[in-house]
Amino acid sequence: MTSNPFIDLLKRLMARFALRGSSGAITDMGLHRVFNGEAWQTQTFIAKADSYEQDLAAVVSSGMAQLGVTRAEVEGKTILLKPNLVETSSVKSACINTHPRVMYAAVVAFQRLGAARVLIGEGAGHRRDSMILLEQSGLVDVLKETGAAFVDLNYAEVTAVPNAGRISRLKRFMLPRVVREADWVVSMAKLKTHHWAGVTLAMKNLYGVVPGAYYGWPKNVLHHVGLQQSIYDVAATVNAHFAIVDGIIGMEGDGPILGEAKPAGVLVMGRNLPAVDATCSRVMGIDPVWIPYLAASPYFLGPIHEDEIEQRGERIDAVKTEFRLLEHIHVHRYLMGRRRTKTAAGGKETYGMFTY
Amino acid sequence: MNDWQPYVDDLLKRRTPCGGFSGQPGGRHRPDAAAWAVLALRALGAIPEPGPVLDRLAQGQLRDGRVPIDPDYPQAFWPTSEAILAWNGSAAHASNQTRAVDFLLRTSGVHYRLDKDAVVEHDTTIRGWPWIEKTHSWVEPTAMALLALECAGQAGHARAEEARRMLLNRQLESGGWNYGNTKVYCVELRPSMESTGLALHALAGHVSAKDVQKSLDYLETEVSGTRGPLWLGWSVLALSAWGRRPAGIGAWIMESLERQSVYGSYDTAWMGALLLAARCENGLHAKEAS
Repeated sequence: MTSNPFIDLLKRLMARFALRGSSGAITDMGLHRVFNGEAWQTQTFIAKADSYEQDLAAVVSSGMAQLGVTRAEVEGKTILLKPNLVETSSVKSACINTHPRVMYAAVVAFQRLGAARVLIGEGAGHRRDSMILLEQSGLVDVLKETGAAFVDLNYAEVTAVPNAGRISRLKRFMLPRVVREADWVVSMAKLKTHHWAGVTLAMKNLYGVVPGAYYGWPKNVLHHVGLQQSIYDVAATVNAHFAIVDGIIGMEGDGPILGEAKPAGVLVMGRNLPAVDATCSRVMGIDPVWIPYLAASPYFLGPIHEDEIEQRGERIDAVKTEFRLLEHIHVHRYLMGRRRTKTAAGGKETYGMFTY
Repeated sequence: MNDWQPYVDDLLKRRTPCGGFSGQPGGRHRPDAAAWAVLALRALGAIPEPGPVLDRLAQGQLRDGRVPIDPDYPQAFWPTSEAILAWNGSAAHASNQTRAVDFLLRTSGVHYRLDKDAVVEHDTTIRGWPWIEKTHSWVEPTAMALLALECAGQAGHARAEEARRMLLNRQLESGGWNYGNTKVYCVELRPSMESTGLALHALAGHVSAKDVQKSLDYLETEVSGTRGPLWLGWSVLALSAWGRRPAGIGAWIMESLERQSVYGSYDTAWMGALLLAARCENGLHAKEAS
């Protein structure tokens, strides 16, 4: 927010325009920098990690240190980790859900920094029986090993919170108190393509924070007010403090459930969710400006432009691996077209008279 | 004391000072929790005087008959069906039940005709009930509404018949139900046991076994291996309603309840489903639950 309500209104209009999917170009022309007075500055961290068997707690701790997370910020605090458990499968959970070893690593990393309490909270979108989700995903072992407690956000007690994004028509969100009271909310997402949203990463993962008891299964209210708009609004309102995206094995094709495993060998972390998602998208070979909720993010939520995100750890080019998209899926077809155009232009994008 | 007594005691500890029940010990009253608690406790003969709980449910009923999850969020009216089940047989709450039934009968989800390039394949015009007002109808709230209408003597209503058609339309070709999408982009989605159990229970006595044979097979194949409280509870209730109650379920239900030592305490609604499954040998019929 700026101190000028007229500028804020203009920014909101631009964000809404971008969310209609009609204008990644304008988003990427740097107008947000004009509006904000200065460029965003944030960092994301990419770690190579080829296997869930390696010491991921050390990897996560190293990333947090690289991102300037200090003991003073965490000590004595309550940390809520939000995995992606939208639906589980007894045979495919490794590529659908945030892997339990990544969850274990994050719990341990926060415990080492002196966290008073680490909670794992999810309000799964497709299934109400969270015990099944814990068992099939393997997360139950993390609870046993670490002493972390699980909170079913679908049935948690709520408090009404104004919609901070104000892009969809929703005036407020009923959010679990445990989420509002946590000192840190950490989006522990999975690196996946998505057949409605294009990609599902740290911002989309926050859909699981809103309780099914108030929004239905599968979060019907959010879908009805617009998927891209509500992803933006939920992310703006939850205002998570940190994100860790599990791309050691991601999912390509018909995600978020029925796609194929895609070993990408990365963990991506950061304090700013649009920046983390933008970096993840680039790793997947998808320009973030093609995703409407990301294209809208620079006006208020965070940067997606490469020169506003300081990359730590691995370079994007060193880990980039194109995630397969499917021609028969509408949003994928659009993304494939943009990929082809960009490739034909030698890696540059052209929007009307603008090339970048 | 019987085997279930510790869990009955646990449920009873969830009573709130206002006469209702919370989802977790020490929490605030939640209408669906109160309904499932009273249904389970009645079935087990463990609540000699349920009146105050039913009164608390009635306090949460709005003028139009709905019973929302939260008076501050009336659009989430799905607990109305649970309240109808809980009020069944209570003369003091007959008018509450009637108003709730009337609300259901004049309410449906949002329904529409699909575009020619639609990517889902179910018939979106057949009406059922949604979780939340002004959204599409889905399997579980529709099945729950059917169970509620049945206990209230409205199983033959045209809306109930339409809702049964909706459920059959949402049945997966390979058997079972999920939340309510059959195929997306030509690919069949996976079933879940809680959705399947609820849908099968709602259809029991109204459709032939051959119409749902693959779904019955799915539950019968999977039920012995699941200990998730909702998955197990609704699978057992559904198979019981179809006269296929499996042997050995008492031990399965006990195992599920004991897992709370690892997972933390179950939601009251889940405890209710499990205890009802343990007790109701013919499914969740009003006669047994009252």
